[in-house]
Amino acid sequence: MGNTDFASSLKKLGPASAKEFASKNAIMLVLAGLVILIGIVQPSFLSIDNLLNILRISSVRAIIAMGVGGILITRGTDLSAGRTVGLAACIAASLTQRPDYVSKMFPDLPLLPFILPVLAAVSAGLVVGLFNGLVVAFLNVPPFITTLGTMVIVYGAASLYVDRPPRGAQPIGGLREDFTNLGTGSVGLPDVFSIPNLIILAAIVTVIIWVMLNKTRLGKNIYAIGGNPEAAAVSGVNVKKNLILVYVIGGFMYGLAGVLLAARSGGATNNYGQMYELDAIAACVIGGVSTSGGIGTVAGMLTGVLIFEVLNNGLVILGVSAYWQQIAKGLIIIAAVAVDIRKYLAKR
Amino acid sequence: MKRLIGVLVIFAVLFASFGCQAAAKKPKIGVAIYKFDDTFMSYVRNKIETSAKDKIEISVQDSQYDQPKQNDQVDQFLTQGYTSLAINLVDPSAVSVVIGKVQAKKTPIVFFNREPVAVDMAKYDKAYYVGAKAQESGTMEGELVVDYWKNTPAADKNKDGIIQYVMLIGDPSNTDAQYRTEYSIKAIEAAGLKVEKLAEDTAMWDRVKGQEKTAAWLAKFGDKIEVILANNDDMALGAIEACKAAGLTALGGKKPMVIVGVDATPPALDALEQGFLVGTVLNDAERQGLATFDLAFALATGAKEVKSDVAPLANAAGKADPAGKYIWVPYVKVTKENYKSFKK
Repeated sequence: MGNTDFASSLKKLGPASAKEFASKNAIMLVLAGLVILIGIVQPSFLSIDNLLNILRISSVRAIIAMGVGGILITRGTDLSAGRTVGLAACIAASLTQRPDYVSKMFPDLPLLPFILPVLAAVSAGLVVGLFNGLVVAFLNVPPFITTLGTMVIVYGAASLYVDRPPRGAQPIGGLREDFTNLGTGSVGLPDVFSIPNLIILAAIVTVIIWVMLNKTRLGKNIYAIGGNPEAAAVSGVNVKKNLILVYVIGGFMYGLAGVLLAARSGGATNNYGQMYELDAIAACVIGGVSTSGGIGTVAGMLTGVLIFEVLNNGLVILGVSAYWQQIAKGLIIIAAVAVDIRKYLAKR
Repeated sequence: MKRLIGVLVIFAVLFASFGCQAAAKKPKIGVAIYKFDDTFMSYVRNKIETSAKDKIEISVQDSQYDQPKQNDQVDQFLTQGYTSLAINLVDPSAVSVVIGKVQAKKTPIVFFNREPVAVDMAKYDKAYYVGAKAQESGTMEGELVVDYWKNTPAADKNKDGIIQYVMLIGDPSNTDAQYRTEYSIKAIEAAGLKVEKLAEDTAMWDRVKGQEKTAAWLAKFGDKIEVILANNDDMALGAIEACKAAGLTALGGKKPMVIVGVDATPPALDALEQGFLVGTVLNDAERQGLATFDLAFALATGAKEVKSDVAPLANAAGKADPAGKYIWVPYVKVTKENYKSFKK
């Protein structure tokens, strides 16, 4: 390597490469820009407590987004995500009410070992995911329609579950502290340095999903199916099996998210999780997941979720009126994708 | 030919059965709820359903927050010969269509919980309304704050004699939300206290949203917030969770927060017991449900004189109602002193 080569590579590091960096990481820059902008206007936004708070909220949302994200990559979609979160939250909450709480949903429920309610709720998510996967894979019903159906079914099921004798429909409250601690507690030394449980759990899930998408055959198959399902089938990918798996994993994630949502808020109603699927899909799309399949990264999904939650929190802190919050969010979704899509346009 | 005869036979049977139905006119009540996932309305619905048991046939429909859907449900009730309707409107301002339908069939109708426009109510002599005065819930919520504030000097954290508050609003297009927001503050001011609004925002009656908005405010204002008013208990409970996460304690502890809600749901009563909630206002779902049922039952069975055991038709709030078409079910303040009697 001679000096001239070195000089030319130095040149490459100039404006052109900065431009390339910007276009490749546009979405991260949007996030950073938002954080800085809101922080300048309202410094309390950048307080540790508030940032941790945003991360806590994002943790649940990120788990849902990664569940939907995998499905989006296979050219699918999952509209039942939000309602499944709600169903799981209701199941988890109903089985973890304090024994001395007067209005228990199951008056004679014994103190269950912590893990049972969690398993029950997550299993409900798995069942919904399995159903979606089977219908999409074997009945060839388009995912949009399949999950539109299950969205309504799951909401009905959650309402039926909550509206039971002897007390009928009511918000489920009075949750055990060992359960809510899952969503509100932290690991570490109090007042010195501690990380909220939710963030740790979300980090673990993120690592697992990253490995799954990037290092396993399943992950490669998911991208292959999304890129071109016929070609994937021809090259020996069992499309049906992989599709079912990706919906089941999605269901698992919604179930887990529902458990954590109930734990964080200390209760649940059958209305929990409403429209979360749209937030999750929007977050994925903002994060560069292509709705036409085959493209998407875990980092992108997380960035999308963070942009959403930074906005949700930031606009409240800025004191923006509720109506303008909606308009601002909508505009930023469109703007973020418009900026991000330039990297694909440039390639053509 | 055979097929044609078959079809004719089927039609004949159908007509015959319709005819029978029409002739018998068995009393039955058609109920439509604006949406099933509204917690409060599910209590009202439970009460209506349990009251009807073994007494009369009823059909309860979910209008899914969709007025056109509810209009269809009303049509269906009418064609099926229901003898009275109990309708929880989705859009109380769009009542004229519904009234037109029932008036044409001379079927009596009881609106409940969501109050229709008065002008439209006056058009039909068999239209009734059962509900609570929404303003009253706001007034009582404000009074809860006043009572606590006056008895607890420590509540004024910065000792400036002014109540610094944040407001969690339900659905801003909903009149209940507007009244509670407006009248709670009016009641505080009427008691001679000064208020300063730090922030207000919609949390759509939702616990998780209430928690998220409050957490953001706590990050911004910290100890400046002295009182959190929520349009309902679910949002108040969300606010409590956010306060707990920010290290705030129960009332009487080192860092308490004054939080009030409306609805007196079981989880809210639990929070009252634990000292995290100062008070809540009971919109008496059971009495609303019972009054609605009593009225609809009397109308369906053709009782000459219509009255409710829960509240006299004339009035409950003390104001004369010459037309005798409104039943006002009063709200109840719930605090640490009396919450036990509301536990079920």
